[in-house]
Amino acid sequence: MRRKKTQVTAVKDVSFEVDYGELFGLVGPNGAGKTTTIKMLTTMLIPTSGVAKVLGYDVKKDVTKVRQNIGIVLGGERGLYTRVNAIDNLRYFADLYGVPVSVRDKRIKELLQFMGLWDRAKDRVETYSKGMKQRLHLARGLINDPQLIFLDEPTTGLDPEIAKETRNMIRELIEKGKTILLTTHYMFEADELCKRVGIIRNGEVVALDTPSGLKKYVMDTSVVEVQGFGITENEVAKFKGIPDVLAVSADLNEDKQVLKIQTTKGSEIISEVQQILKNSRIYDLNIKEPTLEDAYLRLIEGSRK
Amino acid sequence: MPETHRVIYSAFRMAMLHWMADPQWVIPNIIAPFVFTFVALTLFAGADGSFGLYAVLGGGMMGMWGNTLYASGFAIDFERWQGTLEEVVAAPSNLLHVITGRSVSNALFGLTNMVAILLIAVFVFRVPLGLANPVLFAFSLVLTLLSVSALGLIFASSFVLTRSAQIFTNGLEFPIYVISGSMFPIALLPFWTYPASFILGPTWGIQAIRAAATSADVPLAFWSDIGIMLAITVAYVIVAALLFKLVETKSRRDGTLVQA
Amino acid sequence: MKLVLTLSQMSFFVFVGEYAHLNVAYIAIGNAIQTMSWNTVFSVINITGQDKWGGTLPLLLATPAPRLPVFVGRAMIHIFDGMLSVAISFAFATLLFGVNLGNANVLALVIVVFLTAFTMSGFGLLIGGFSFHFRNPMVFANIFTFILLIFCGVNFPVSSLPQVLQPISYIFPLTYGINAGRLTISGATLTDVSLQLGQMLIVGFIAMFVGYALFRLFENMARKTGRLEAE
Repeated sequence: MRRKKTQVTAVKDVSFEVDYGELFGLVGPNGAGKTTTIKMLTTMLIPTSGVAKVLGYDVKKDVTKVRQNIGIVLGGERGLYTRVNAIDNLRYFADLYGVPVSVRDKRIKELLQFMGLWDRAKDRVETYSKGMKQRLHLARGLINDPQLIFLDEPTTGLDPEIAKETRNMIRELIEKGKTILLTTHYMFEADELCKRVGIIRNGEVVALDTPSGLKKYVMDTSVVEVQGFGITENEVAKFKGIPDVLAVSADLNEDKQVLKIQTTKGSEIISEVQQILKNSRIYDLNIKEPTLEDAYLRLIEGSRK
Repeated sequence: MPETHRVIYSAFRMAMLHWMADPQWVIPNIIAPFVFTFVALTLFAGADGSFGLYAVLGGGMMGMWGNTLYASGFAIDFERWQGTLEEVVAAPSNLLHVITGRSVSNALFGLTNMVAILLIAVFVFRVPLGLANPVLFAFSLVLTLLSVSALGLIFASSFVLTRSAQIFTNGLEFPIYVISGSMFPIALLPFWTYPASFILGPTWGIQAIRAAATSADVPLAFWSDIGIMLAITVAYVIVAALLFKLVETKSRRDGTLVQA
Repeated sequence: MKLVLTLSQMSFFVFVGEYAHLNVAYIAIGNAIQTMSWNTVFSVINITGQDKWGGTLPLLLATPAPRLPVFVGRAMIHIFDGMLSVAISFAFATLLFGVNLGNANVLALVIVVFLTAFTMSGFGLLIGGFSFHFRNPMVFANIFTFILLIFCGVNFPVSSLPQVLQPISYIFPLTYGINAGRLTISGATLTDVSLQLGQMLIVGFIAMFVGYALFRLFENMARKTGRLEAE
């Protein structure tokens, strides 16, 4: 699929497939095109070219059928009617989705209870906390009991406690047999939840595999983690120039700097590290197994070159 | 598939809930018609009773109009501002039906506006308000209301396209008061404005309403006025349905559903 | 856009007047001068609204700049805008609705219009002061702009109003302004209308003073209760 939005091509070339009952993750930095992809799949945007089929229905031709059978959770501060309460919000969308009247009110109650919002159900949404609003978004996405659910960055901006609960809820949904497509910029979240992960950057999918598959991609490498003081940007740049160094990430704060160097060289690199950083102090240096985050980093940086 | 009447009712209900949350927003809609009627009544004060009726009916008409026009645009703009426009479009229901529900609630406010003006006229200005043919009066009133709402739908569709439509419709409010002959016969207007007057359903509706108010045996013209208005209203609905489809597709293509 | 608004408002009342066999020139003149209320009262009331909603009000009030000059400065733009609107409206009035400016004392008229715009902006400050406290100045702006059509001798003389309501007319500077305007069109000089102008200025300054006081009062209240930004 491809989508050109005025002068910016948000999504250049995205292709993937998701199986029934799968939890598929789309991971990438901000602006990579995750949200645009979801909006195309959920009929909010029309792709400029390409084909997409959701549950067997074409997103351009069978628009109503697609809309009928999916759940969409974009989340955030908007997307809810803040001057009315949760029940009225859900009821409205239940009607727009054609939820049978006989099950409507019961389902609303069940969903709000499931989300832990039932005791505040009659309060105006403008009085809800961020976490509560996110849960209401989730409830709204489930109102038509969809087979397939799209979650756009469901835990971004939430307190860790609440984010954890949200992830548990997502797992429960998979156990119930739902299919979920999730976007996130948290690698650990994708690692934890997803069966397969697609890494997207600058509107293109640069890798697509299971988490362990992606980690294998960097299995031949080790990550040397250096904690030190007085490390400069220049020195970091020197690392990037070394052959067999695949990627370098640097977290340079005032009081502490952490470098992660991905390399195939293994422990042989240590002497070079000491050489380059001879004017700085090294507190700690160790070699680690690569994580999904490292794989991600590698792929992202790789596609930059 | 969601049933049409359920969608319309639900949108109507949502509009009502929002009104109850913020009742003061009705005021801007009804101020202009109210003031205009007051002025007209004062200007007509020297003349006889039927002038008074003229002014009151015209004022009521303007009340309905003002509310519909302003609110039709606001319906879409409100969704954009709340951030719910995308979610609403993404639902399987037809956007036209959703907005229709809102339009009906606006029409209702328009009606209460009219009643308020009527009351002021009777009690403050002592305008004698004998309705010669109450049944046909109510009949033509309701039909005119529907006609106004249908025209409001057409304006609403332009809002899906862009927020700047607000300026356009705001600017239309007063001209329509003039062109529709709400407060004076359109015969007074220069002839080149007549075509504009004639495509407005309410122009015909007002004539019918006045006829029903002033004579129990309505002239034949009453029925032809009603007929023409109905035809125009049906045309409005068809145009609105087409426009909504077009406009929604374009917005989805250009990504303008989100507030810029 | 404002042009369309102005012209249609004037047309409306002119045609109504015509239907009632009244002197439409009277109506046209009144409406022409009243046009400025959109630029003055309406806009001034909304200044605070925009600031509040735009979130810039807290920033503005955080500066040590003295309040009055800031607002007065902005009001100047509105005043000249208003005068322009009036000029255009008079053009319409003479071309379309048979208003005869032949005998008019134009200089005096211009001064009258200027002073009216000035005092009406001040009046806007007064109402703006009230609406500062509430969520929607728009509602106030609407009410107070339209209500002028009833009370200020725009379409009919104040004497046409019921006795009880007449005193209200004299709160609005516009009433005096239109009165003086009509006189200058018939050829009166500045000295002839000086009483009107004097009264208008007094009313205008009282309005500004009270408005300013209200602003400061509500500003302090808002600081204490944290309501400077839109909820």
